[in-house]
Amino acid sequence: MKRLILAAAALAVLSLPASAQTPLTRNEIINNLQNVEVHRTQITAEELRQQALDNIRLHPGDDATTDLPAESELARLRQFIVEITFDFDSSRIRPESYESLGLIADALHTVYLGGDRFLVIGHTDAKGAREYNLKLSQRRADAIVEALTTTFNVPANMVVPVGLGEEDLRDPANPYSEVNRRVQLINLGPAQ
Amino acid sequence: MSKTRLFVAVLSAAFVALMMAPPKASAQTMGYADAIKILAQSCGADINKYCPKANIGNFGIQKCLQANSSKITPQCKTDYVRVYELIRLRHEAQQAVFQICSRDSAQLCSVHSNVRTQNFAGKVPVLRCLLKAERSVGNKCNQAITDAGYR
Repeated sequence: MKRLILAAAALAVLSLPASAQTPLTRNEIINNLQNVEVHRTQITAEELRQQALDNIRLHPGDDATTDLPAESELARLRQFIVEITFDFDSSRIRPESYESLGLIADALHTVYLGGDRFLVIGHTDAKGAREYNLKLSQRRADAIVEALTTTFNVPANMVVPVGLGEEDLRDPANPYSEVNRRVQLINLGPAQ
Repeated sequence: MSKTRLFVAVLSAAFVALMMAPPKASAQTMGYADAIKILAQSCGADINKYCPKANIGNFGIQKCLQANSSKITPQCKTDYVRVYELIRLRHEAQQAVFQICSRDSAQLCSVHSNVRTQNFAGKVPVLRCLLKAERSVGNKCNQAITDAGYR
């Protein structure tokens, strides 16, 4: 995508005005990600990356139109969507998103999430070339994980970056909608 | 106000101050979000101006602000040093927890504390146990868990 954000959307999807959004909190992240016992998965980051590549190869075209095979399995897992903004065409996280990163770090350090492993998935909308979107979203997911595991001291085995580009649109009927730009945190279960 | 009443007032004020003061041994820490929010507020403009290539990971912004310390605003200069000190204190508190809590762990959570692993995941069961046993856990250990942000 050629826009500057991997933005998000739990609230945007409800078409609420910005002023109606409640600020993100640490406990909101914890509540949505904890209690992984409900569903477990064997899906790995490598498989997901491969599925995104295969999706481009098997279903070529300007915009992704098909779901990834893992889509329904991922949908069952404990997860949360966060808005992180980046510079245009870049993996540089903008200062207005530092607090959100800090909240994710605070949540991951608690005993409620501590020791679990999380996918940090970057998604774009469908603007721009699919291969390009895939690479940019991977670099952005990498930047988030790098910040979490260095500056914010999150154990490296707890967070795994994955970029899915536009291959897993949140709203396939509106591929260019900003609700597609998002960072998705998914709990995979105990890290050990 | 009579002298006696003034004395009582001063005494109670001192008592309240004492009760609100943190335990001596504890480092005062702040959550990552609250700390880094200060950086975004005080230094956001300077970061975008002087650090267009630096990222928040790997302390990239800290290094960039250090390198540009003669150009950034005085407010940013004061605050970025404080923010990274707060972050350092929190890391330090995380390092210290299991040492400070070793006796409490042995007494209250021995079932979980035979885990030899050094990584965080391996220590989470002990932490969960200590949190459950909060009322029996010593003040220093409880404070250490709070300072580390594990609670």
